Parts: sequence; C-alpha cells; structure tokens
Amino acid sequence: MDILGNAVMLNGTILFTFLAFIFILTMPQKIGFVITLFAILFTSLSSSWLAVQALLNHPIELSLQFGSFAGEVLLKIDGLSAWFILIINFTVLTGFFYGKGYLKKYEQSRNRISLHWIFFLFFHLSMLFVCMVQNGFAFLVVWEIMSLTSMLLVLFDHENPKTFKAALNYFVQMHIGVTFLTIGFIWVYHYSGSFSYDALNTYFQTNRNLWLFLLFFTGFGIKAGFIPFHSWLPHAHPAAPAHISGIMSGVMVKLGIYGILRMITFLKSDFLLLGEMVLTLSVLSGLYGILNAAVHRDFKRMLAYCTIENIGIIGIGIGIGLMGIGNNSPLMFYLGFGGALLHVLNHSLFKSLLFYSAGAIYQQTHTLNMENLGGLIKSMPKTGALFLVGALAIGGLPPFNGFVSEFLIYNGLIEGIHTSSISQIILYVLVLAGLSIIGGLSVLTFTKAFGTIFLGQPRTQLTHKPQEVSSIMLIPQYLIIAVMLSVALLPQFYMKIVGSQLSILHSMDAEPAILEGIGKTTANISFYFLLLTGIVAATWIARSLLMKKAYVNSGATWGCGYVAPNNRQQYTGKSFSKPLGKIFNALLIEKKEFEELKKGEIHPAGKSYISHYQDFFEYKLIKPSTDWLVQSANYFSFVQNGRIQSYVLYGIVFILALIILSILNIIS
Amino acid sequence: MLSIFLNLIAALFFTGIVIRTKSLASGRKGPGILQPVRDVVRLFRKGAVYSETTSFIFQLAPTVYFASVVMALMVVPFGKSPGVLSFNGDFIFFAYVLALGKFFSIISALDTGSSFEGMGASREALYSMFAEPAFFILMGSLALLSGHTSFQEIFASLHIGSQISYALAALATFVLLMIAMIENSRMPIDDPKTHLELTMVHEVMILDNSGFDLGLILTAGYLKFALYGALIVNLFIGVIPYQYAIPAFFAIQFLMAVAIGLIESFMARFRMSHNPQFIVVLTSVSLLIFFGVLLILQKFV
Repeated sequence: MDILGNAVMLNGTILFTFLAFIFILTMPQKIGFVITLFAILFTSLSSSWLAVQALLNHPIELSLQFGSFAGEVLLKIDGLSAWFILIINFTVLTGFFYGKGYLKKYEQSRNRISLHWIFFLFFHLSMLFVCMVQNGFAFLVVWEIMSLTSMLLVLFDHENPKTFKAALNYFVQMHIGVTFLTIGFIWVYHYSGSFSYDALNTYFQTNRNLWLFLLFFTGFGIKAGFIPFHSWLPHAHPAAPAHISGIMSGVMVKLGIYGILRMITFLKSDFLLLGEMVLTLSVLSGLYGILNAAVHRDFKRMLAYCTIENIGIIGIGIGIGLMGIGNNSPLMFYLGFGGALLHVLNHSLFKSLLFYSAGAIYQQTHTLNMENLGGLIKSMPKTGALFLVGALAIGGLPPFNGFVSEFLIYNGLIEGIHTSSISQIILYVLVLAGLSIIGGLSVLTFTKAFGTIFLGQPRTQLTHKPQEVSSIMLIPQYLIIAVMLSVALLPQFYMKIVGSQLSILHSMDAEPAILEGIGKTTANISFYFLLLTGIVAATWIARSLLMKKAYVNSGATWGCGYVAPNNRQQYTGKSFSKPLGKIFNALLIEKKEFEELKKGEIHPAGKSYISHYQDFFEYKLIKPSTDWLVQSANYFSFVQNGRIQSYVLYGIVFILALIILSILNIIS
Repeated sequence: MLSIFLNLIAALFFTGIVIRTKSLASGRKGPGILQPVRDVVRLFRKGAVYSETTSFIFQLAPTVYFASVVMALMVVPFGKSPGVLSFNGDFIFFAYVLALGKFFSIISALDTGSSFEGMGASREALYSMFAEPAFFILMGSLALLSGHTSFQEIFASLHIGSQISYALAALATFVLLMIAMIENSRMPIDDPKTHLELTMVHEVMILDNSGFDLGLILTAGYLKFALYGALIVNLFIGVIPYQYAIPAFFAIQFLMAVAIGLIESFMARFRMSHNPQFIVVLTSVSLLIFFGVLLILQKFV
C-alpha cells in the first residue's frame, strides 16, 4: 500500500477513537459497546497491518502536522516498533474481551463503565503512538497521555481510599520519570535545536554517551520497574481491575524497555560500561523482585513483584546484548537482545494470563489474600489449569515458552564466559548464579501461590460459593495459551523475526552461520518439548492401563494419627515462605502488629496479630526522604496563607520580575 | 545412547548398594541388592488410595516428576558418547527440566492439604533453590575451563593434568555428590529413615502417594542417583576408550553408593535451620572451583 493509504490508516485510528469517545458518551450502552469494539478492532488491525509490513522489511514513515507548536512530527514503524505494536495489540484485545466479562456486574453504573472504556481506547492509542513517534516533544505528549489514561483506569474503584492512594503514588512516580525524560530531550534540544530523534543520533555521535543514556535509562526505568524505581508497581497492580493490571504489567511496563532499546539504537560508545551497569542492576532487580514475590500473600501484589523480576531478566538480556556490541561478539549480541525481545513477548503473554486468572479468582471470592483461599481447583478447575500453565511458563520451566527466552539469555551468558577479560567473566558467572537463584525462587513463589489458592481445602468460609467464570473471560486466556504454545513449539519462527530486526539496534556484521546456529538450537528446543510431552503421555498411558485393574480407594489425608484435623490447620502460604523470609530478613522487612500480654493480665481479652512485609526501598529510602520533604515544606506554609491579596501580590511580583529580567536582557 | 543404558543398569543396583552398606555398617545382614527394584515392581501392580482432598494434580504429578527425570537422563553423556540429546547449553535444560519435576512434586504435596506435607514441600523448595547456584557456577566454571557449552563437549575436553586440576576435580566431585544428596533428600540434609513427620523433607511429601504413583516416585529417585553418579563419572573418564571407561563407570558408581551408605551410617542429619547454610557453603565451594579455573587459565595477572 502506498504512503497515502498508511496515512489514512493512522489518521483513521485517531479519528475512530475520537468518534467512539463521542458515541460512548451519547448513545445507549449497547451501541456504545459495539462502537468501542469497532474502534478497538480498527485500531488494532490497522496498526498490526502496518507493523507486519514493517516486519517484512518495509518500514513505514509518515509525517503528521501537529500545528505550529510541535511542527512536523515524523512517525515511523520499524521492526522494533512493530514488535511492540503487535504485542500491545494482542494483549489489549484479549484484555478488552476479558474486561467486558470482568466488569459485567458494574454495568448498571453507566458513567463509570463509559469513562472506563473511553480511557481504555485512548490508553491503547497512546501506547501505539509511543512506539511510532520519532520526535522527543511528541513522544513526551503521548507518553504523558499513556500515563494519565492508565492512572485513570487504575482509579476504576475510586471509592476505595487504597486505590486512590495507589493511583496517586503511580501518578507522582510517573511524573518523576517524565521529568528525567524531559531533561534528556531538552538537553539534546539545547545542544542541537531539534526534538527529532535524528538530533539524538547526532548528539550521541559527538558527545559522551554515558550520562545522557543513564538519564533516559532512569526515566524509562521508572516505567519499566527496575529497582530502586519499582515501588509504584506493587501498589498500582493490585488496585487496578484485572484486565488493566494485565495490560499494564504485560505491555505498558514493557514500553519502558522499548524506550531503553530505542535509546540503544542511537548509542555510539560506552557499550561495555553501560552493559556492565545494566547487567548488574538487572540481576539485582530480578533477585529483589522474586524475593518479594515469594513472601507476599496478596496474590496480585505477588504478580506485580514478579513483573519486576521479569523486567530484570529482560534487562539481563539487554545487558548481554550491550556487552556483545562492546566485545564485538555477534553471538552475544543476538542471544542477548534476541532473548530480551522474545522475553518481552513471553512475559506479556503469561503475565496477562496470570493477571486474568487472578482477576477471575478475585471476582468469585472478593479477596486478594491467598491465605483466605484454598481448594479452588475443585470449584474453578478451568481457572486453576490456566493459572497453573501461567505459573509453569513464568518460572521458565519446559515445555513452555518462558524457557525459550531464558535459555537464549543463559546461552548469551555462557558465551560471554569465553571472553578474555577477567572482570567480565566474574560478572557473567555471578549473573549466571543470580539467574539460577531467580529460577529456583520462582518455583518456590509459584508453587506457594498455586498451592495456597487452588489446592487443599478452603481455609475460610466464603460468602458466595465460587464458581467457574464466564466463557468471555476464559476464551481470551485460551487464546493467550495458544500463542504461548506457538512460541514454545515454533521458537525458530519467532527467533527469525526477532533476529532479522536486531540490526536496527546496532549494525553487527554477523555471519549468517551464527543466526542459523541459534535457529537450530531453538528448533531443537521445541523437539525436546515434544519429547518431554511424549514421555509424560506414555507414562500416563501406562499408568492408566495398569490402574484399570487395580483396586482404587479414597480416604482422608494421612494426619499422623490425629483424627480431627480442620481446614485452618493446613500449611499456609505465609509459613511456606517463612524460612526464606527469615534468611533474607535484611531485605524482607517483616512488620508485626500485636499486643503483648501484660503483666498480671489474668483474664486476657481477644488479641490480634498481623504481620506483613514492607518494601525495603520504599520504607528505607523513599519514605524517609519524602517525609523529610514534607517536613521541610512546612517551613514555607506562610506562602500559602489563604489571603487573596497575597496571591495577587505574588502574581504582580512575578510579572514585574519577568519585565525587569527581559529589560536587562537576562532572559530573552 | 550408551549413557542411558549404563545409567539404567546403575540405577537398578544403586539404592540396593546404599541400603546394603548401611546394613553392614550397623552389623546387620540386610536385604538383597535388588530389593528396591522388587519393591517397585510390587508397587506397580498394587492398587492405590487417594485422599478425598486431592485433585487431578495429585494424580498427574508423579508422572511428570518421573518424566522429568527421564528427560534429564537423556542429556547426560558418557565420555566420548553424547547423551541422547546434546546441544549447546544442555545443562541449563537439565537443571530446568528437573525443576519442572520438583514443581509438580511440591504442588502434589500441597494438594493433600496436610500441614506436614506442606512443611516438607516448603523445605524442598527452599533447599533446591539454594542448590541451583552451586550447580550453575560449577558448570559455568567447567565451560570456561573447556571452552565449550554442552555437557558432552565440556566433559570430553576436561584434561586432568596439573595439580590444581586434581584439586578442582575433587572439589567438583564433592559439590556434585552433595547436590545429589540434596536432590535425593539424603543425609546430611534429610533423613529418609526418620520416623517423625516433622523432621522429614522428601519422605513427608509423598506420605499420601501409594501404588503405581509411589512406584514411579521411587523409580525416579533411583534414576536420579545414577544421574548424578554419571555426572561425577564424566568428570574423570574424559575420552578414554570404552573398555576402560565402562568398568570405571561402574566402579565409580559403586564407590559413590558405598560412600553414601557410609555417610548415612556415621552422620546425623543437620539441624533444619543449618541446612540452608550448608547448601550455601556448596555455592562457595563452587566459587572456589571457579577461581581455580581462573588460575589455571592464567586470567589473574
């Protein structure tokens, strides 16, 4: 299709979104829904079509006029954007259908639902444009729209003060991130007089790369959730509706990764130093994320921490790729960045799957505390199986897709071990050990979550008997699993797509043999997956044949001779992860609230005991500094005295200052 | 292909030898060496009792656990001859496929709703998590030493030449032996013969399994022993011809079984709270191997 057609498509996405906005507000709810569906489908399909074009090596370039202020803004879909656009569209579509089912009981409160879907449309559109714009100023605008709409989406349950607080926290942290990005772009603007990405390119060509990259890395890292910028995630994800958590954690967080990768495309030097920094920070993020995930009992918060872990894994891939450029090792480059990009896809799949099934649990039980649950697999077998598949995949266990990308990243590390520099070798071996601990801990985390929520007996009496959720909530999850299996069984296909686009990041002159070797290894993995499934199936068939004749009986669980066990005596999730919490008590701060028995209290009344884990960075670093900030702001409270006269005076002083400064030629 | 046959044969006798050694050490005659195999055959034909609390997870888990061990067995090489599967980074696959089995055995324990089994599951998850870095640092160091990235190539190109490499081989044997003990839940981490559920790790997790499922779990345990034994054998045999390598394989497996029997006879289980410390020590031994490798390669200048 020609340029005109592409322009029509892109403008069409904007136009349809605004049309849908008007229709949702004015039309009856049924029609509003159809219009929303139509707008989402149009936006997804047209942008996906353009993205597929770009992946087939027809990058799309367009320029849009944004009035006199921003001027001409270049839109470009190259392979990198296309990869993220496809991921966004798939997750948004599954999220949309799932969300339709998830919000069913709110359908009477029309305003709330209408607003929700309007924000949803703009959220989707802004995420797509974040991947497309090639201009710093326009980027900040769409980035801001993305942050604001997602915040408003988090606020769905706005009567709940906790949700409100989480949304505010998210709002503030996103703007700290935007500040970094703005400084970065203004820095380049100051240097070259342009906001376009080409200016970034020329800046990096002529200046020290390190500082500007770190500035952008911090800005994007807040979105992505690298430590110590992660503390918004564990608040925002539990507060949002499940489909929004799924989309935020599955794709929006990844746009931070997109930003980092986009900056890497401009990098010209300092690769080794930056690679070492990214590797170190990433492995620490991974370890910190999964450690916290292991101990929390709020299962959506657990998933949020697990996102930090996976961002760490993606970051390790990026770090290996950077080291590959620095060492001029094409194999590391392809394994690192290839693994990172594939993990972006994989994580968007299983994390949205896990959030959707977690949402199904919440919808049926109205609790996020896994200690109140148990035995749900009997009442919600489908959700149980879906959660199990997600849990296996996110732990990187064969035969699921998580293993493929982690395997590539591991291979990149082992390839790195063969380099000559001792400091690098030590770093790689430590990261290797870190990654293996992450793997082991995620087994602990997800056996705990799955076991506590779904297995055993119900721990508390729920007010409503949980039932399997509606098929509109289940079908999107089946779809996700289908895509996950396609990654697991055809990894060479996905790796080929990713591999062919990596030259955007840096032009490495790799022999085709290297790519072929990686392709062959990944192709083997799918064969081994099939073999493993085959062995399981064969054993199962043998078991069924032998068990057919055998005498099968059922009885109570062995209670060591104790005959009156009750459901509260089951092992809890808290006790499952308690030994881990004790070992790492320096990082996992446990706060206990209880009242001790007083001296001489002969007839004690009812006591309560609550313990919960606090985020190390939030309570040891962020909170003290914000407390201090609030404290010192008190000294300036005289400025805000509530008298209109003073406020008018401030205005006059400000205008006078402006006039005097411009007369004296200090500002122009 | 050779390795899987040899391992199957070794697995037949391994546990029997361990048990026999323990009996002899305590002054008893003890059962025949093939008794564990007879037990399993008997179990395969038996019926089963399932707890009412359990779901399909409980029935599926032993199968997956067994399949994961078989799959791990396939990547283990034997000297010159590679495993059934051999590819770059196969030791990662090895570790992760065993983790899959562990995942299922843990959730199957949680499926019974018993607090004892939950406790065992919690311990198993924690210990195997701590054992992972030891294995990965060890394999990473060997990969660095040999310049290769698959089990077979790494082992085939290990040359035990200098004194340092003897020391490294001894340390690597120690690490692998201890990982084998952790993975198989033997002394000094876990006591398979204890009678108190509170002090068990692995045994308490399978309290409710019976019949075919229990048989599968026991078989997987026997295979796991042979599996780690084969890894240790591979440290030493390198590329020597088969007529020496095969007897050496059985000799080393036999020695390992006797060693395990002796350890179990003369040592008590560590206190539960000391176990994580002990397992972390393994990681530091692995780090020692890593620095030894750096020394051999003269990276320190």
